[in-house]
Amino acid sequence: MAAVNEWTKRGPLEWQDYTYKEVRVTASEKDYKGWVLTTDPVSANIVLVNFLEDGSMSVTGIMGHAVQTVETVNEGDQGVREKLMHLFTSGNCQAHNLEDLEERKNSLKKWLEKNHIPVTEQGDSPRTLCVAGVLTIDPPYGPENCSSSNEIILSRVQDLIQGHLAASQ
Amino acid sequence: MQTPLPSPVPVLRLPRGPEGLSRGFAPDGRRALLKPEVPGTPESPVVHECQESQEQRARALLRERYLRSLLAMVGRQVSFTLHEGVHVTAHFGATDVEVANFYVLQLQTPIGVQAEALLRCSDIIAYTFKL
Repeated sequence: MAAVNEWTKRGPLEWQDYTYKEVRVTASEKDYKGWVLTTDPVSANIVLVNFLEDGSMSVTGIMGHAVQTVETVNEGDQGVREKLMHLFTSGNCQAHNLEDLEERKNSLKKWLEKNHIPVTEQGDSPRTLCVAGVLTIDPPYGPENCSSSNEIILSRVQDLIQGHLAASQ
Repeated sequence: MQTPLPSPVPVLRLPRGPEGLSRGFAPDGRRALLKPEVPGTPESPVVHECQESQEQRARALLRERYLRSLLAMVGRQVSFTLHEGVHVTAHFGATDVEVANFYVLQLQTPIGVQAEALLRCSDIIAYTFKL
């Protein structure tokens, strides 16, 4: 069982309150400073992000059981908040504008149809592609944006998308 | 489709639960304990539920972000700070659902390199990696 301390006893609403703030955490006599990305409600681990001079980021996880104090240093910064919000979310590597996405969608749709795969579109722009009624492809239409409960079709379509992307590089 | 189907995506199927129906998730299982009923509170049940669903929403959001941060760590070199000022580095593999153990590869310790190892969360103070 994980150790119970003041920090681990706080509830999810309190942990959520710290998100996007810059804090100083003391854990086992060591100090850690950074912007809070999240706190794991299961282990109370705090994840801090630091922006380094060379443009890279360092991510630090502090184990909930070791946390002694958490002190807010900065209530929040819109720029940092934006960056943190999109960190680790799927498809965040490239930003696509609507025209770009439209092109990608049409190009993929043509390719799938060429491979005799029935595909329709649904939803608002940027639209989701729907394959044979059992698989959906969300923007930006990469293999990881496929959703389906049929693993055979999922695998097949992912391979096709992969091939399509490789060919158009 | 003219080309042969590639092999299906390997799927890990959870074993069936004790009642033979579910796939490993206890229908009454809750990791977050329900707050005990406080008799005679002036608050209506609706207010109570609001608070609970708010908490649950927060919990889900926080957990999702944490899981994604773990996913981003897979395969990367991570530096672990242990007790007594000991630092070790390794390639992160996985954690279990409670985040009680960290499965790592190529663990570089002061006495050599371990191909695979399990670090207990109680031994770890913090971990860090670069993006």
